[in-house]
Amino acid sequence: MSHDHGFVVPAPGDGFLPHTVAHHFDTPTQEFQAAKLGFWLFLATEILLFGGLFAAYFFFHQEYPQTFHVGGAQLNWVLGGVNTTVLLLSSFTMAMGVRSAQTSQKRKMQFYCWLTILGGAIFMAIKCYEWHVKYTHGLGPPVIAGMHVEQWFKDTHNVMADVPHGHLFFALYYTMTGLHGLHVVVGLGLILWIIRDGGKGRFHANYFLPVDLVGLYWHLVDLIWIFLFPLFYLVS
Amino acid sequence: MTATDHTHAASPHDPHGGDHGHAAGDFGPHHVTPASTFLNVLIALLCLTVITVAASRVDFGAANLLIAMLIASIKASLVIAIFMHVKWDTAINKIVFLSSFLFLSLLFVFTLSDQATRAWDSWPSKVKAPVDKEWEHPSKVGSHQ
Repeated sequence: MSHDHGFVVPAPGDGFLPHTVAHHFDTPTQEFQAAKLGFWLFLATEILLFGGLFAAYFFFHQEYPQTFHVGGAQLNWVLGGVNTTVLLLSSFTMAMGVRSAQTSQKRKMQFYCWLTILGGAIFMAIKCYEWHVKYTHGLGPPVIAGMHVEQWFKDTHNVMADVPHGHLFFALYYTMTGLHGLHVVVGLGLILWIIRDGGKGRFHANYFLPVDLVGLYWHLVDLIWIFLFPLFYLVS
Repeated sequence: MTATDHTHAASPHDPHGGDHGHAAGDFGPHHVTPASTFLNVLIALLCLTVITVAASRVDFGAANLLIAMLIASIKASLVIAIFMHVKWDTAINKIVFLSSFLFLSLLFVFTLSDQATRAWDSWPSKVKAPVDKEWEHPSKVGSHQ
């Protein structure tokens, strides 16, 4: 069965828009499965991207356990725990948002997406505060060009003076939480897009693919934080 | 549609939920998970977070990291299976995503077995790779020049 001009998926009711299947797909199911497969491949590459950093973490942790012990004690586990809770809650609201799209509940979907954005925003606010505190304690690279190389890690209060390669812990901390934070920001942008297009009625029981994929992306962000939290905040 | 029934929202004609034919009104195999399932998973994830924090307060020695990773893996499995719908996804999507963890485990196994079987710090210095300057803590830089 071929549809030379694109299969049109009807809207389930008033306030919703029909979806035209891209012309190179025969059926809506084929389009849906192709997009899902592509997105899972992308998520697999994300796992491998973060996986390399996790391998570096485990290598150096085994090599210098004392460094990670002292480094972990510098981080505020209460703030880390709050952020873990906030991100788990936002993953739940995102799952509910996707569910609302599947059941053609437009306002409910937007409501859950806004809750997810609230969670992501609280997470980023706390994260930025934490980065700022550590940075002002000299536990990070200077942003001013021309500083001496050995001063990239100043450690104003000498908290890492008695352990080998104290900068290693914070190099991994900034890189891994930074890359994760970047994913949170991208996710927030994608959810805003879902809310905007969802308001036009694009997503409903017959077509909710973009909501589904953005949801998967957000859950991946949650998934990575589940491992980052104990590795950095609870390692002391 | 109530919150408690498992339904295939866009495919009322097919009760099986597998790969569908392409009859009119069928826009793909879609599984709608009950809200109560999501809520139960959320509660389980929050409980496991509390357990992770509690377990880190007890000194198990080197096993602490292992225990933390074990609990994190359980949490991750819940997120993947339920929140990400992998439990109800097609076989090819399951294979594609879960195989990334298989390849990742290869990286971990070889990296860590290499690390564990080398005595890095006990090597004679002439065997070590030459470095221009060993890194020193800022409080000690210049103190012995």
